[in-house]
Amino acid sequence: MGQGPSSGAGPRRGAGDRESKDNKKPDAPKWEPPVPTRVGKKKRRGPDASSKLPPVFPTTRCKLKMLKMERIKDYLLMEEEFVSNQASTAGEDRTAADRSKVDDLKGSPMGVGSLEEIIDDDHAIVSISNGSEYYVGIMSFVDKDMLEPGCSVLVHHKTHSIVGVLADDTDPMVSVMKLDKAPTESYADIGGLETQIQEIKESVELPLTHPELYEEMGIRPPKGVILYGVPGTGKTLLAKAVANQTSATFLRIVGSELIQKYLGDGPKLVRELFRVAEENAPSIVFIDEIDAVGTKRYDSSSSGQREIQRTMLELLNQLDGFDTRGDVKVIMATNRIESLDPALIRPGRIDRKIEFPLPDTKTKRHIFKLHTSRMSLAEDVDLEELVMTKDDLSGADIKAVCTEAGLLALRERRMRVTKQDFNSAREKVLYRKDENTPAGLYL
Amino acid sequence: MSQDKDPQSADILVPSTDPEKKKDESEKPKINGDAKGKGKGESEEVEISEEDLQLKTELEMLVERLKESDTNLYLPALESLRTLIKTSTSSMTSVPKPLKFLRPHYEELGQIREGWSDSLKEQKSLLASILSVLAMTYSDTGKRDTLFYRLLSQSTEAPGSWGHEYVRHLSSELGEEYNARFVGEEEHVNGHMNGEANGAAEKTSDRNYSVDQLRSLALELVDFNLKHNAEADAVDLLLELECIEQIVSRIDEKTWPRVCQYMVSCVPLLVPPDDVHFLRTASEIYAKFNRYPEALALAVRLNDRTLIRELYAAPTNPVMKKQLSYFLARAQIPLHWVHTAEDTEKEGDGPAPLQDEDTLLCLGNTKLSHHFRNFGKAVDVHEPRSVEDIYKTHLETTRTTHNADSARHNLASTFVNAFVNAGFGNDKLMVAAPEGQSWIYKNKEQGMLSATASIGLSMMWDSEAGIDFIDKYSYSSEENIKAGAFLAMGILHSGIRPDPDVAFALLEEHTMSKSLPLQISAINGIGIAYAGTCRADIRDLLLPHIADDANSMEVASMAALALGFVFVGSADEEIATGILRTLLERESTALDSEWTIFLVLALGLLFLGSQDTSEATLETLRAVEHEIGQTAEILVDVCSYAGTGNVLKVQKMLHLCAEHAAKEKKKKDDPKEPATEGASGTAAAPAEGDGDVAMGGESAQPASGDDAPASAPAASSIEAPVPPPPGEAEEDEEDEDEQVESKPLKHQAVATIGIALIAMGEEVGAEMALRQYQHLMTFGDPVIRKSVPLALGLISASNPQLSILDTLSKYSHDSDLEVAQNAIIAMGLVGAGTNNARLAQMLRQLAVYYYKEPDCFFIVRVAQGLVHMGKGTIGLNPFYHDGQVMSRTAVAGLLSVLVSFTNSKAFVLGSHHWMLYWLVTAMYPQFLITLNEQQEELATTVRVGQAVNTIGLAGTRMGISGFQTHQTPVRIATGERAELGTNEYFPYASVLEGLVILKKNEGYDAQDVQM
Repeated sequence: MGQGPSSGAGPRRGAGDRESKDNKKPDAPKWEPPVPTRVGKKKRRGPDASSKLPPVFPTTRCKLKMLKMERIKDYLLMEEEFVSNQASTAGEDRTAADRSKVDDLKGSPMGVGSLEEIIDDDHAIVSISNGSEYYVGIMSFVDKDMLEPGCSVLVHHKTHSIVGVLADDTDPMVSVMKLDKAPTESYADIGGLETQIQEIKESVELPLTHPELYEEMGIRPPKGVILYGVPGTGKTLLAKAVANQTSATFLRIVGSELIQKYLGDGPKLVRELFRVAEENAPSIVFIDEIDAVGTKRYDSSSSGQREIQRTMLELLNQLDGFDTRGDVKVIMATNRIESLDPALIRPGRIDRKIEFPLPDTKTKRHIFKLHTSRMSLAEDVDLEELVMTKDDLSGADIKAVCTEAGLLALRERRMRVTKQDFNSAREKVLYRKDENTPAGLYL
Repeated sequence: MSQDKDPQSADILVPSTDPEKKKDESEKPKINGDAKGKGKGESEEVEISEEDLQLKTELEMLVERLKESDTNLYLPALESLRTLIKTSTSSMTSVPKPLKFLRPHYEELGQIREGWSDSLKEQKSLLASILSVLAMTYSDTGKRDTLFYRLLSQSTEAPGSWGHEYVRHLSSELGEEYNARFVGEEEHVNGHMNGEANGAAEKTSDRNYSVDQLRSLALELVDFNLKHNAEADAVDLLLELECIEQIVSRIDEKTWPRVCQYMVSCVPLLVPPDDVHFLRTASEIYAKFNRYPEALALAVRLNDRTLIRELYAAPTNPVMKKQLSYFLARAQIPLHWVHTAEDTEKEGDGPAPLQDEDTLLCLGNTKLSHHFRNFGKAVDVHEPRSVEDIYKTHLETTRTTHNADSARHNLASTFVNAFVNAGFGNDKLMVAAPEGQSWIYKNKEQGMLSATASIGLSMMWDSEAGIDFIDKYSYSSEENIKAGAFLAMGILHSGIRPDPDVAFALLEEHTMSKSLPLQISAINGIGIAYAGTCRADIRDLLLPHIADDANSMEVASMAALALGFVFVGSADEEIATGILRTLLERESTALDSEWTIFLVLALGLLFLGSQDTSEATLETLRAVEHEIGQTAEILVDVCSYAGTGNVLKVQKMLHLCAEHAAKEKKKKDDPKEPATEGASGTAAAPAEGDGDVAMGGESAQPASGDDAPASAPAASSIEAPVPPPPGEAEEDEEDEDEQVESKPLKHQAVATIGIALIAMGEEVGAEMALRQYQHLMTFGDPVIRKSVPLALGLISASNPQLSILDTLSKYSHDSDLEVAQNAIIAMGLVGAGTNNARLAQMLRQLAVYYYKEPDCFFIVRVAQGLVHMGKGTIGLNPFYHDGQVMSRTAVAGLLSVLVSFTNSKAFVLGSHHWMLYWLVTAMYPQFLITLNEQQEELATTVRVGQAVNTIGLAGTRMGISGFQTHQTPVRIATGERAELGTNEYFPYASVLEGLVILKKNEGYDAQDVQM
C-alpha cells in the first residue's frame, strides 16, 4: 500500500530517483513525502504561522480579553502536558539515538558552501569556496523551509550533500547597535524636563507596555518622537534614561553612521536596522544627530550628497512606508530641527516634537543639585548665587562648571570645593563659551 | 520621609516622573551611592517645587485642623480636602500630587476618624469617602480598604465623582471581596474546627458585608460605567458578582447594542452556569428593545423551546413575524414548536398556536429553491457546468492520458456533477440529459444508486418538480435505481418543509421493505429530509427497527442514525433508551460490525450541544462491555459539548489520544513479529512511521526516510517489490489488519474529531486546536493520524484559511494512503463552495499525483466537486447568523460523513459511497437576498467585506473592512459580513444573511450624501 504512490504514481519531481531506490530496498519504511517546497520564500519575520498564537481581541482591558488569554493558556498547558507525556513514553534514548545518528550522517568536518540552485526536493547545486559547483543531495533532516538560493549551507566533507543550513547573518554593524548593557542614567538623573519626560513616556514607553490604554481611547499611539533643542539640554541624556528604564530592545545609532563608503550601503543599513528592530520587537530605535542624513533635499551634483539623500529616503520609507512596523518606536535627536527635511518629521512619521529649552532657574537649581550631590563642598559654597546669575547656562554647561570647579580643587589638592573654585570655573566656562568659539556657529 | 518607611509603596505607583522616588529606588544598584547620604536630606526638600510646597503645607494644615478639637472646623476642612483631591489632574504616568502628599497622614486620618464621636455623622462619612479615595493609592493589596471605607461612609455621593480610576479600583475590590467571601466561608468552617484562625476571623468580622450591600454598590458603579462608555466594565462587574440579570433594567437605547455584543462574545469562554445566564439575559435585552431576530437567535442557541415560542409570538408586526419565520426555517427548528396544524393532536405543555398560511410558507422555507435559482441567475452561475469544467484536465500536466477504471471515474463524475450543480435543477448529466442517454446506466450496481440519488441533489429544495422527475425511477425494476430514487426524495426535501408532506408519505412504507438497499435508502432518505424536525411519527416508525433483534446491524444502525438526524440535539429519552438497550443486549459479535459506529453516533447526535443532559446516558454506557462502549462514551461526550469550546473536555480527549501506550502496541507487534504476516507490510508498517520502526526492530532505526538503511523491517519484503493491485483481495487483507490492530484504539479516532467538534465554536479555541493537531500528528498512532485531517476539515468547513490548506496539502502527500485520502476529502470540506483557486490548483496537482491510485483519485475528484459546490454558492459551514449559531443538523451531517471516513475502506470507498450525501444536511446557500415587505425580491446596494471584530472597542466602527459594493442578491462567504449601502431601507434583521426583509425609509432622500 505504502509503496503505491512511490512506485506508481510518484511525484513528478524526483520520482525516477525514488523508484530506483525503491527497487534496491523496496521496503524503505518511509520515503520523504514530497512536501511542496516553497523555495526562496523564506519567512523572514516573526515566528512560524503554525506556532503563532491566535490574536486576542479586544485589546482593551476587560474580562473578555482575560478569558481569552486564559483560554490560550489552558490550551498551551494541555499542549505541554501532552507533548511531555508523549516525549517520555517515546523515550529519551530514542531521541538521543536519533541525534547521534544524525550527527554521524552529518560527518565532521563539514564544509561551508553557498546554495546556488534548488533542483528538486532533495537535490541542489552548491558551490564550494574554491569555486567549483556540485550537484548534490539534500539530507532529509535538513529544514527545507530554511533553504533559499544564496544562503550558506553546511555540506558533507566527502559527498558534499547538504547537511545543514547556516543562519542568515545580520549585518554585524547592526548587532553592534543593539544595546546590551543599559546605561546607568535614569530619569532621576535628569533635572527638570518634567513635561518632556512625560511626553516621551506617553509616546514611546506606554505604547509598548500598555497598548490597551490607546485602544480604549480609540487612537493609534505615536510612532516616534523627535527631540530638539539647543546643545547640552539633555536630549541624549533623556534617551539614555529611556534605555535605562525600558525592557524593550534598544537600538541606538548616530546619523553619521548611516553614511557609508559604498553606494547603497547606507540604505541597506537602515533596512537592516529596522529589520533587526522588528525581529526583536518591542524595540526602540534611537537615532542621534539625525541632521547628518536628514537635511532638506536639494539638487546636488555630488554623488555623495545624493547617496545621503537616498539614505534618508529609505529612512522615510521605514518610518511610514508600505509595510507596517509593529512595536518599533523611533526616537530622533537633533539640535537643528529647522534644517530637517519636512517629510521626515511630518505627523505619521514623527508624531511628537519635543522641545528641550534652556533650563529655567528652578531647573538650573535642580541640575546643580544633581551634579554637586556627589561632590564634597565647602561650607561657603552658595549654589543659589550660581543659579541666580543671568548667564545662559545649559545643562551641559552646568556640568562643566561643576567639573571644572572640582578640577581646580584637585589641582590644589584640597579635599573640598570652595566657592572660589566655582566662581573661577564659571568664568572659565563662560569665557570659553563666549569668546573662544564663534558664537553663531555654536548656538 | 515616607518612602523610607515603606519601600513597597514604590511598586504600587506607576513608575513616576517624580524624581525623588527614583533616587531612593536606585540607591542600591548605584555603585557610588555612598556619597549620596549626605546630600540626601537636603535634596528631598528642594526637589519639591514651590507650588507643590504650597499644596503640601495646605494639606498638612487641613489634616492638622482635623486633629484639633474644634468640631466646627471639621466640615470645611474636609470639604476643602475633597475639592483639592477632586480638582487635581492626574497624569497617566504619575500619582496625583495631593494623594502623594497626603500619604503620610493616611493611617493618622483613619485613627482620627475612629476617635470621633458618633454625633459627627456627616463628617465621619465625608472623611470615610476621602479615606476611600486615599486607600486607592496607599493601602496594601489584599486589604481592600477602598471598599471598606466606601461602605463605611454610606455616602450617597456618586462614586463617579471621584474619577474613573476610583471607580475602576472600587470595582476590582468589589470583585475580589465577593470571591473572597466564598473562599472565606469555606475557611470559616475549617477555622471552627481547629480554632486557630479565630484571630483572623475576628479581624475580618467587622468587615463582613452582606451580599446586598456589595451588589447595591456594584449597581451604582454599573450605572456609572454604562453612562461612560464602559459597557464592558459594567458587564464584567456584574459577572463577578453573579447578578448579570440586573443589567436588563439598567441599559438604555444607546448602550444595549454594545452590552449585548460584549455579552454574547463572552459566552463561549464562560464556565457553565454563567454562559446560559448570559445568553438568557442578552436575549431578554434584545427582546426588550424589540430586536426579536437577535433574541430569537440566542434562544435557538439555547435550544429552549418555550423561549423560542415566546419570542416568536412576541412581535405583533406580521412582517417581523415572517422575518423570524425565515430564521427559524434556517435554524430548522421543529415546526410543531411554534405551530400546530389543525388535524394533529395537541402536544403536551400548552399547544402552539396555529400559524397562518403565509407564515407557514416562510417557516417551511418552501420558496428556497425559487430564491436560490434567482440568486444563481443574478450572480450568473445558473448555467449548468459540466464535470470537465471542474476537472480542467487541460491544465493538468499529465504524463499519460487516462487509465483509471471507468466505473470509478464515472462514479466520481456523478458526485462532482451533483455537488457542482446542486439546487439548480438543470445539470447536463442527469436532469437535462437527453432521453435514453441517462448517466445512470453508465454506472454499475451501487453506482446506479448514487447516480439516481444525485438527481435529488440537483433538484434540491424543489419539492414539486423534483418529485415529478424522480417518481419514474422509483418504479424501476433495477433495485439500485429504486433505492437511489428513495434517497433522492429525501435529499430533495432537506431543509424545507413543504405543505403536502410528500417525502414521508412516499418513503414510509419502504422502510419495511424486504430488500436491504431499498430499506436502507428509505430510512436514510427520511433521516436527511426530516433532519431536526423531532417528529414523533418518525420515531414511532423507526424505533422498532433499532430494537428488533432480527434486523442486521446495518439496518439497526441506519435507523438509529436517521433518528439521530431527526432528533438531533433533542436529548430524546425514548430513542436514547432504545439505542442503549440495543448496545447492551446485542451479542458482542453483532456489535463487532463496522456499522455499530453509526449506532453510537446516533446516540451522540441525540445529545448534540445539550451539554450535561447526557450524564445519565454516559453512566449507562459504562455498563456496555463491548469495546464500542468506549467509543460511544466519547462520542456522546463530545457531541454534548459540541461547539462550546469547553477546555476540560478537550483535555479529556487529549488524554485519550495520548494513551497510545506502548502496551497495546507491543501486544499487536508481538504476534506479528514471529509470524511475519504478509499483510503487515501493506498499510500498517509505513503508516506507523519511525515510531514503530524503533520499537519493533531491535536496533534503533534512523528517522530519516531517504537514508534509511535496508535493514528496516523485513517483514513485508516478500510482497513489496510488486505492490499488490488494489482491489478485492487487498481490501480483505486490510480489514483483517484493521481487526488486529486498530480495534483497541478505535475510540481515538472519534476523540480526535471530538476535539475539533468541541473547539469549533470559538475562535481562540479553534486556532489553538490546530496546534494540538500538529502534536497529535507527530506523536499519534495511525488511527489518530488518519483522523487528524478529518478534524481539520470539520473545524474549518467552508473556510479555507491558508494555514490549514498548507497543512492539509502536506498531509495529502503522506505515506499512509488513508491519511492522504482523508486529507484530500478534508481539503474538499475546507474549501466547500468557495471556488478557491489555490485549492483547486492543489487538487489538480493531486489528481496528477494520484492518477494511478483509484481510491485517492476518486476522492480527489469528489473534493474538486465539493470545492465548486453549487458553483460557489453553497457552503457547508455549520455556523450561521454571523457565525454565532451552530446548526445542529449541519453538524450532524458533517459528523456522520467524517465518522464514515474513519473507516473509509468499508464505507465510502467500498460500496457505500452514497454516505457522501449526508453532507446534504449541512449544505445551505451562502446568499443574501433582500425582500420587500410583500416578500418579493428587491435589489438594493449592500457593502460586503471581511468581518471585523468590533466588540469592546471604543467608538463606532465599521463592522467590515475591505468592502465592495454590490447589488443584492449577493454571495456572503464565511468570515464575511454585509451592511446596507444606503439608508434607503431598514432591515428587519440586523445580521444580513439569508433572506432579509427590508422596510422602506420614508425620510430617505437620494440627494443626501450618505455616509
